[in-house]
Amino acid sequence: MIHFSLAAIGVGPFDTNLLSQALILATPILLAGVGELISERAGVINVGLEGMMLSGAFFSYVLTWKSHSLVVGCLAGIGGGLVFGVIMGLLAIEVGADQIVAGVAIDLAALGLTGFMFEQIFQNLPQIVVPTVNNIAIPGLSKIPSFGPALFNHDPLLYLAFLLVPLSWFLLYRTRWGLAIRAAGELPMAADSAGISVRRIRWMGVLTAAGMAGLAGADLSIVQVGIFHENLSAGLGYLGLVAVIFGRWRALGVLAAALVLGGANALQLRVGEQPYIQGAFWGAIALIAFSLLGGELLPGRGPVRRSALGLTGLAGIAGVVLLIVEPHISLSQPLWVGFPYVVALLVLAGARTSARMPTALAVAYRRGQG
Amino acid sequence: MVARARARVMASSVDVLLMVLVVIVALAIALIFIAAYGVSPGSGISAFVQGAFGSQLNLASTLAKMIPLSLVALGWIVAFRAGRIQVGFPGQIMVGGIVCSIVALKFGPLPGVIHLPLAIFGGMVGGALWAWVAAVLWAKRGVNEILSTLLLNLVAAQVLAWWVQSPFHDSSTPLPQTLPFPNSALYPSLLVNTDLHWDIVVVPVAVLAVAYILAQTTWGFRVRVAGANPQVARHAGISPKSIGVQAMLVSGALAGLAGASLVLAGTQPAMGEAFEGGFGFNGIAVALLARNSAWGVVPAALLFGALSQAGQVMSATVNISSQLVGVVQGLMIMLVLAATTILYVQRARRRGGGTGARAALQPPSEVRSAEVGVPG
Repeated sequence: MIHFSLAAIGVGPFDTNLLSQALILATPILLAGVGELISERAGVINVGLEGMMLSGAFFSYVLTWKSHSLVVGCLAGIGGGLVFGVIMGLLAIEVGADQIVAGVAIDLAALGLTGFMFEQIFQNLPQIVVPTVNNIAIPGLSKIPSFGPALFNHDPLLYLAFLLVPLSWFLLYRTRWGLAIRAAGELPMAADSAGISVRRIRWMGVLTAAGMAGLAGADLSIVQVGIFHENLSAGLGYLGLVAVIFGRWRALGVLAAALVLGGANALQLRVGEQPYIQGAFWGAIALIAFSLLGGELLPGRGPVRRSALGLTGLAGIAGVVLLIVEPHISLSQPLWVGFPYVVALLVLAGARTSARMPTALAVAYRRGQG
Repeated sequence: MVARARARVMASSVDVLLMVLVVIVALAIALIFIAAYGVSPGSGISAFVQGAFGSQLNLASTLAKMIPLSLVALGWIVAFRAGRIQVGFPGQIMVGGIVCSIVALKFGPLPGVIHLPLAIFGGMVGGALWAWVAAVLWAKRGVNEILSTLLLNLVAAQVLAWWVQSPFHDSSTPLPQTLPFPNSALYPSLLVNTDLHWDIVVVPVAVLAVAYILAQTTWGFRVRVAGANPQVARHAGISPKSIGVQAMLVSGALAGLAGASLVLAGTQPAMGEAFEGGFGFNGIAVALLARNSAWGVVPAALLFGALSQAGQVMSATVNISSQLVGVVQGLMIMLVLAATTILYVQRARRRGGGTGARAALQPPSEVRSAEVGVPG
């Protein structure tokens, strides 16, 4: 909806291409985010998501190059994530070590390992571009004028990512497994006494997150660009973690967060290449902030804070003023690259999250020692 | 009392032994990697020793690399003792460097006695400022500090890229870097024609200061209580939130000090796009290997300085990518984490105390106080 109203007021960059780009860029965040959602609901926070994504990107790239098969590439991506998932599980579940520090170690090791192997294998070779996954147009739907091609002509991983949202909801809330996962994350002692193996459930959660982060990495390397370079994921894994927190540990929330972050990234790419940005753009940004902040004030979201009310008012006024005055403010390209991360920070600051956090998140569980 | 003191000494020596073992295992795994690429272990080891300590030049570079590593590690320790896991050191180093560059290039000409300390102070303010963003988000909005600092790192990298391309770009070069700094703002060289500058003096001062403040002062006591048991801290009238914010500011200032060293005592007298050089994250590895003890930082930083210096040399001499250093560092953190947690759980089981993953990372002398929440 936003995109139509903005097009009406003449904001150049908002069009169906942007929509399509936003979906593409939201895909890795969504894949990693949904996996991490399962893991965090089971009680394991996985800061190593970034490293697992990078590892997945590397192994899928290398195996696609070697085997010429994209299916093998995708499986290799999952495998690349799982390698570090096993390490994470050993440290976090078997040893009971600090999960956050273990995750940081995995990020460091994956960055070093992929960089090392990439340099050793490819240092004397020219840049190799592997063939990327073809788009599949959904018959009928992709023929809808205007937004049809933008929504329904994408690669299979993108469809899979969006399909996983309802699937993960179903898994978490409508199956015995889901109940066990949530119990392991909320009250592992109770889950244990009900005969659920917290250890096994948490292993499953960690491996799910790792495999999906690896698949998200494959999405980056062999679906989106067809190349690999050092630190290809460049922080996208962290955005997956942000999506889970911003999404308040709900599947639909993760989807919304991934779309906001992917959208911010698409916008950044689009406006970053323009010499200057129409003033209306800034007005639009302020109005989006207004509606997001306003959403927090809706009834049923807890007591209204005066600071939140003030911020909402300020964003609204700023939006209207900017739309009338239309100043030409532009940023240089690197600052645009940082834009999605600033959005992520604002999103974290704006979201009221702590109440929904799984109670036993990042708490090691040992049988017989409450 | 004597028995307890003896037990503590025993525990410490077991710990030191364990850390040495971890280092040996990690290096052995690295040797396997090296062997996999056709370099014999013998020549691998000799290339390593030669690269890290073999000549005055290499030794000086090893020591120079130790400086930012130690400062970042001390920064991690201060925040960690207060119960805060902040990993924003790369960003804090970068913003520290940016403020340094303002002081060095825009505040002048000044005599060196004033200019250099001012530039160093600027770096510390910059680092603290960047940490303050995460600290406030945590204290006021409950934003997990590890996530906010990771994101702030990514933002800082872009701000730095813009900084050295646009407002502070040296127009005489296409490279993304600032104008050369005046000599009055630079650390003087300690050993001519090497990377070693007078900023090495900062390391013992900072180690002593952090060790003293944490162990002997009221503020240090508050930090330890707030970190070990926020509940007990609140009962004792200590606000874990304000202590956490203060500790993060100190932590950021130490990272900024590391940034000042990298900018004002670097191989070139200007600030480039990539001056951070991975020291921000590697400093965390140093702190973990040192088991979060300020004293342990010195040998751990020396080892990591040697690793990264030797890594650079080895990529030239035996054609092994310097990225291997990253693998070794990640491995060491994992091994330290596993070893200390297992050791801690065993000790706690013997004593019948509780188990906490984070308490396992405290230095052994702190473990008892961490459990009961009062100083030992």
